[in-house]
Amino acid sequence: MPGNRTPTWAPDAGTGPDDALLAVRAGEGDEEAFAVLVRRHAPALVRLATRLVQDRTEAEDAVQEAFISAWRKLPEFRGQSSFGTWLYRIVTNRCLNILRTRKPQSQLEAASRISAPEHSVAPDRITEGRAAIEELHHALAGLSAEQRACWVLRELDEQPYAFIAETVGISEQAVRARVFRARRQLTDALGAWR
Amino acid sequence: MTTRIHPPDTPPPHDPDDECLPCGRLLSRVWSDWEEGAADSHAAACPDCTAAVAELERLETAVRGLRDDTEDASGYDPAPLTERVMDVVRLELRPGHPLPLGTPEEDMWVMEYAAARVLRAAAERVPGVRSGSCRITPERDMPGRVTVSLHILAPITAPSLPALADEVRRSVGESADRRLGLEITGIDVHVIGFADASDDSEKGFLP
Repeated sequence: MPGNRTPTWAPDAGTGPDDALLAVRAGEGDEEAFAVLVRRHAPALVRLATRLVQDRTEAEDAVQEAFISAWRKLPEFRGQSSFGTWLYRIVTNRCLNILRTRKPQSQLEAASRISAPEHSVAPDRITEGRAAIEELHHALAGLSAEQRACWVLRELDEQPYAFIAETVGISEQAVRARVFRARRQLTDALGAWR
Repeated sequence: MTTRIHPPDTPPPHDPDDECLPCGRLLSRVWSDWEEGAADSHAAACPDCTAAVAELERLETAVRGLRDDTEDASGYDPAPLTERVMDVVRLELRPGHPLPLGTPEEDMWVMEYAAARVLRAAAERVPGVRSGSCRITPERDMPGRVTVSLHILAPITAPSLPALADEVRRSVGESADRRLGLEITGIDVHVIGFADASDDSEKGFLP
């Protein structure tokens, strides 16, 4: 079953029950408890943000801001979701905002990249695979912010559709539609390269 | 022959980006069947569906490459980012309310947050105990006195929870008295769960 994948990473992975305990303590002002949470969740969140905005510096800034806003909101955090899921949502939405502000320029850029002559040079199979990844990387910039966020969460972070719907705050059907459109656009882009 | 029944309205609002393949199936359905591993005998035999799936598989190959390229979370050093976050956090501490120390005439106070930190650590001196919420509230009718409400995770190996709670209460009471000089009228210990047995650290989970 080629398409039947299980997520390799969930926001709650490897955190144990003390994540909730630490979040309560942080909510009561214990900044050392908060530091433990930051250290624990930062690597996965930076990876997520890097996948979303494709820029390590911007990704780290987004994660940093997400943690700071989490610190401010923690006294109201009642543990409706786990701390990890909550942060995942904050980071995703910050990245969505970054993507929304930069969209038009990158689309033009991406379009010019796709038709750039250097990508038509593909001497053998190995570089062909490499070139396809590069091409995909560029084509991603042509997606709308919303399509891209849903696509990245689905394809790179391998999250279930229901989880993505909750994270982005839209219906599961809307997530499926966005991922479908993103795939169409991306297969077209790779096809153009071939 | 297939027993799989598709609702007649997939996808309900017609998506202009969707495409009807020459075989009559919608591209969106062919791809989602593939993704869910639900391809039927038509899909396996139909050249249109096979070509559509091949196109998606080509994309998925590139996706796997991109995923591997961005898979390095384990090698990420969170220390610099944590420092930057904590620099801001330390400017926005939430110390809680002031608690009275000693007699009212002495006019000495400790912030709830600082006191809670001492009391949580005292609870965690009981082996295997993890402390969570710790609220310290001034008594309305008895000026200068406070009550403590403490949530803990108990070690799964604790033979008796009442005995454990007593031990925690004793340790917390001692710290409140000797280290802080708080006049405590009561310590409520709430066991809200059990600490992970695989975690054999007995010092509490803060460094």
